[in-house]
Amino acid sequence: MQNERRKPLKPVQTMSAAKKRAMHARLSPDQKIYLAKRQVSGFSMNLITFLLIAGLCFVILYPFIRLVPSVLSNIEDLGNPNVIWIPEKFSTVSFQAASRMIMPEGVMTMVKSIVYALAVMVIQVFISAMTGYTMARVKYKWTGLLYVVVALCFLVPRQSLLLAQYIYFNHFDALGVMRIFGQEVNLINKPVTLYLMALLGFGVNQSLFVLIFSQFFKNIPKELEEAALIDGCGFYRTYFRIMVPNAIPAIATVAILAFVWNYGDTYYTRYFDPSGPYMASKLATTFIDANKVTLLERVRVWYNVPTTTDMAFDALKQAGVLIFLAPLLVLYLFAQRWLVENLESSGLVG
Amino acid sequence: MKRFRIGYQTQRRLLGFTFLIPFLLGFLMFFALPLVNTVIYSFNHITVDDVGAMKLEPVGVQNYIDLFTTEVSTRSQQILRVLVDENSNMLVNLPLITLLSLFLALLANRKFKGRALVRMIFFLPIILGLEVVTDMLTVTTGSDWVQAGGGLFSQSLVARLLIRYTSIPNQYLRQLIAFVEDIFSIISRSGVQTLVFLAALQSISPSMYEVARIEGATAYETFWKVTIPSILHILLFVVVYTIVDLFLTSQIAAEAYSFAFEKNKIGIGSALSVVYIFNVLIILGLVLLITRKAVANNAK
Repeated sequence: MQNERRKPLKPVQTMSAAKKRAMHARLSPDQKIYLAKRQVSGFSMNLITFLLIAGLCFVILYPFIRLVPSVLSNIEDLGNPNVIWIPEKFSTVSFQAASRMIMPEGVMTMVKSIVYALAVMVIQVFISAMTGYTMARVKYKWTGLLYVVVALCFLVPRQSLLLAQYIYFNHFDALGVMRIFGQEVNLINKPVTLYLMALLGFGVNQSLFVLIFSQFFKNIPKELEEAALIDGCGFYRTYFRIMVPNAIPAIATVAILAFVWNYGDTYYTRYFDPSGPYMASKLATTFIDANKVTLLERVRVWYNVPTTTDMAFDALKQAGVLIFLAPLLVLYLFAQRWLVENLESSGLVG
Repeated sequence: MKRFRIGYQTQRRLLGFTFLIPFLLGFLMFFALPLVNTVIYSFNHITVDDVGAMKLEPVGVQNYIDLFTTEVSTRSQQILRVLVDENSNMLVNLPLITLLSLFLALLANRKFKGRALVRMIFFLPIILGLEVVTDMLTVTTGSDWVQAGGGLFSQSLVARLLIRYTSIPNQYLRQLIAFVEDIFSIISRSGVQTLVFLAALQSISPSMYEVARIEGATAYETFWKVTIPSILHILLFVVVYTIVDLFLTSQIAAEAYSFAFEKNKIGIGSALSVVYIFNVLIILGLVLLITRKAVANNAK
């Protein structure tokens, strides 16, 4: 169906070159001028488009192109005015140092943060799809109110609730249930907090995911459900056997976004589980100006570098970012086809 | 004895409700309760004793008065100043981000060789726009902070020519150059918006364009009469998303946190949070009102 849609509107030209030339010779001068004008304007339009696209791509990629030389060059060479693009001596010291700083457990830190992001992603997709399905497909008197509530959860900035949430987690009693069975627990600095939030629909941007799913399920034909009902499927079976397989495009979109945002989330991880193994929050808390002196000192000791400047701090930071981004970029290379191809049916368009 | 029966619809509602339970529980615990608590805290003076229990002491609106008169932010600015800065910053960036993402989507929607690659690059900001990444890319060369793409345009030939040989007043030109310099920070926030716009553009039925062609519409007319009306409802979503996204990365959150946990003034931090929520909702309301009107006018 997709191929049918993308068929060009113009009928394909099948005339041979010789025939074309013959036809061209029969045209009046006015017609020739018109044709030439069209060719010129078409060509210049294409040229402008090409330049624009190339320029924008450059702008997007420039910061990364720019940091390649500074990251790869020898730390002592940084700030050398003779070096702009090609470093005099290649070295990976910045990378080694940065990886030691943001990955205290070596590769395991990266694996752990990827696993964390994946786990939260799965929970988020599961819960938001269910919520979205009910919102779209089960009629309550208060369905409209439900939409308002979800939208409000999306609109109220999450930081403004941070304080109260923090205090609440500090004395967590699960709406009084915990108090009956014993006492309240302190959930700060425990990974379970983050999973709990995702499980109850309040992970990173989760209300947005709920909205996407509800938009998507709204557009699935009702007949599918009715057919399933007649064939004897209950509510749950209809959902898991019929609706979920049909929702793959929406699930893919949400999953990609959820993974990226969870992997890059510094906010919940930093405040609710500060000592957990999350690379994003590690990155955000390690490379702050207050740590500059200590970090540079460490580099000098670890790698026998005689002098380090502010430039070296930048190089460290950028190397850290590249290490952090590597898994994301790899994932993106594989996943972007999904993202681009399934756009129309992803539920993003309500 | 009458048998207890449940109709199909009721059953469906009950079963569907089980799907909602997690979200509703979460809403109560992680949204409603904190929201109410924030408001309560903001009207109290709060002290934490040795055991860790909190003592509330009602002070009326004193926290709010203090917030705007005596308290200062971490960069020792007046709080009002910070709020005004955040808002004006947002109102400038909002149209820029919206238009840029629409532009990117329009370009990515054209047919050309290597479109897959271009789309891949255009969506990269979804990843590169992560707050932690953009934070890290700001370079601290010497003492001043320079944006990641900075210094490229203002030193370029075009900029120099513009300054020297055109009669555009210097202050506007400076603004313009500043915008161009800042383009990476704007692009880095437009990933999701581009995605959404592209999805909307692709869902426009090709037969609409076919009709326009047959009726003899120019590309310009087709754009304004077919493309724009078909994506207007998405525009609304994009605007809202952009506002929320911009506020998400604003400085006020850090301020509230520092009030509460560094300066030990939970009440004032909460007051700031409440002001902040109202601020966001008011801006959203205003923008929605304006956009709605534009949409309604277009529908006529």
